[in-house]
Amino acid sequence: MKICCLVKEVPDAAVQKRIDAGTKRLDRSGERTLNPFDTHGIEAAMQIREGGAVAVDEIVAVTMGPDTAVRALHKSVALGADRSLHLSDPALSGSDVCATGYALAKALETEQPDLVLLGQQSDDGECYTIGAVVADHLKMPSLTQVIKMDVSEGKLVCQRQAEYGYDTVEIALPAVISVGDAINEPRYPSLKAIMGAKKKPLDTKGTGDVGIDPSQVGEAGSKTQVLGINPPPPKQSGEIIEDEDTNETVEKIVAWLEERKLI
Amino acid sequence: MSNATEQTGPVINLIASLEESMLREAVGGIAGEYGPKYMLACADAGEPPVELWDALAEKGYCGVNLPESYGGGGLGMTGLAAVQEELALAGCTQLLLVVSPAIAGSILVSRGSEAQRDQWLPGLAAGTTRIAFAVTESDAGTNTHNLATRARQNAAGGWEISGQKTFISGVEHATHILVVARQELADGTLGLPLLFIIDVNATGLQRDLIPMALRLPDKQWTLFLDGVEVGEERLVGGTEGGMGALFEGLNPERIMAAAGSCGAADRALRTASSYARERKVWRTPIGAHQALAHPLAEAKIELEMARLMTRKASALYDAGYKGAGEASNMAKWAAAEAAVHAVDRAIQTHGGNGLALEYGLTDMWWGARLNKIAPVSREMILNYVAEHSLGLPKSY
Repeated sequence: MKICCLVKEVPDAAVQKRIDAGTKRLDRSGERTLNPFDTHGIEAAMQIREGGAVAVDEIVAVTMGPDTAVRALHKSVALGADRSLHLSDPALSGSDVCATGYALAKALETEQPDLVLLGQQSDDGECYTIGAVVADHLKMPSLTQVIKMDVSEGKLVCQRQAEYGYDTVEIALPAVISVGDAINEPRYPSLKAIMGAKKKPLDTKGTGDVGIDPSQVGEAGSKTQVLGINPPPPKQSGEIIEDEDTNETVEKIVAWLEERKLI
Repeated sequence: MSNATEQTGPVINLIASLEESMLREAVGGIAGEYGPKYMLACADAGEPPVELWDALAEKGYCGVNLPESYGGGGLGMTGLAAVQEELALAGCTQLLLVVSPAIAGSILVSRGSEAQRDQWLPGLAAGTTRIAFAVTESDAGTNTHNLATRARQNAAGGWEISGQKTFISGVEHATHILVVARQELADGTLGLPLLFIIDVNATGLQRDLIPMALRLPDKQWTLFLDGVEVGEERLVGGTEGGMGALFEGLNPERIMAAAGSCGAADRALRTASSYARERKVWRTPIGAHQALAHPLAEAKIELEMARLMTRKASALYDAGYKGAGEASNMAKWAAAEAAVHAVDRAIQTHGGNGLALEYGLTDMWWGARLNKIAPVSREMILNYVAEHSLGLPKSY
């Protein structure tokens, strides 16, 4: 089995996020790091390998981004990937979710993975949808918010977190799975893995190397256009229940919870 | 990490390399899972922080300074200082990290025989061999020329060591102790210092706990050596090279003390800033009041200057430059001062809560204060700088 893990370089969590008024895109200058949600995908791949139910021949970290994204790939390798693929091309700059998903799918086609894993969201864009877009282009089934996976030859049995409870779903491989952060606790890399990360193979490919149609990527090839940016509206104040009569208060709280099917 | 070429000399990297960033993040992550509560629980139970040490050792973080050929990380003191700074930032300073890989490891790398390096360094790098360091004596203090612990060579070529040591850190978690003794000459007088590695449970070795204000799981001990026997293979640096070997360990010790102080100062400032941003007594958070904000800002500047000097000291030491001694002393001095000021301002910012045990600042106070005294006092550092950096007459 070959597992590809989609990873992304994002601004460090400690960096205050802001929108560049000129480009209407997220300002990604400053300290950057590997998207913490994607580390759960790498850990899931490692656990499949170590679980032994299927033989995992290779775990490949795949990213799309500028030169600096190499750091995210080195970190992915330190966390367990065997090698990495860096899709990097000025033509890709400004791609929206659909264009990014298309480009990543083209890169993944060259790898022919049995399983594609990624985190539930990126720490910057937080769109939650890139996995589904990639799967659509690859004509693979896809699941999101997966918090448990049992793998066997040719299929996965996944538990996914739904709005109220859990769904158990069987899915045929190859597939694209975005994992919830409750699926595992990513391990810390050993010093040996940290020091060896830069020595692992890293392929850099441009749009032409993976057959990307240039008209489908970049700002011009994106299907969405940001027309304006406004701060979110102020939060409505919550409902305050005064405790004048405790029995009545309890009834009100229970009714509130029942109304939302929380109990 | 630091490196050197003949053309440029040592390089101080102002931006952490990818490797250092990952190392810091991982160490901070592991330490964060334990935190000061774990350290206090160990201290109260009288137990060393075994679980934390083992978690760090399992990943190879206890020997990052040691050569890769012996299983270490090859990152020099720049790497090990980063580990200690992150541990201190998480409230989990490890004294054994100072004495075992930094002092004993550095001495063995530079002055150990090939056989000694083969025997000791892999274990030190793995964290399974932990060597405490015993130099201080009650009547000698910082004056190593006055050490009274004696080593007498026996007919078989081995040595018998007798004497008393005090304020020896982490013996309860150590597997061995690197003891500094002076050679007993034929006329009974004492000659040059010698360094021996003895087993922590050697016959003739006893230890008494020294109760300390500082609530740390790494304890302080008085050691009593009564004819402790070791073979000649346990003598490090030979009979002539003990003093040189001893000095090989001092700069790493100071760099580690500086790194620990920087981490503690950072922790104090983060704690204080967080509190000052939230705490509101009148209309604005107390952090808006310059009487509180300015001292914290000053402490932050002191911290960053100390960090820079610690990086310089590490880079010089790793490159084998002579200026490492001066820089290590200055880094240790600056970081200790910065930590004391930072913790003091953090306590002041917290008002009465600064003295409440649940806020942890009083424990930090004793830790910060300790580093103005040990491993070398601020006065001895100023003596060193006055004499060696400014060419002033020696005062003692």
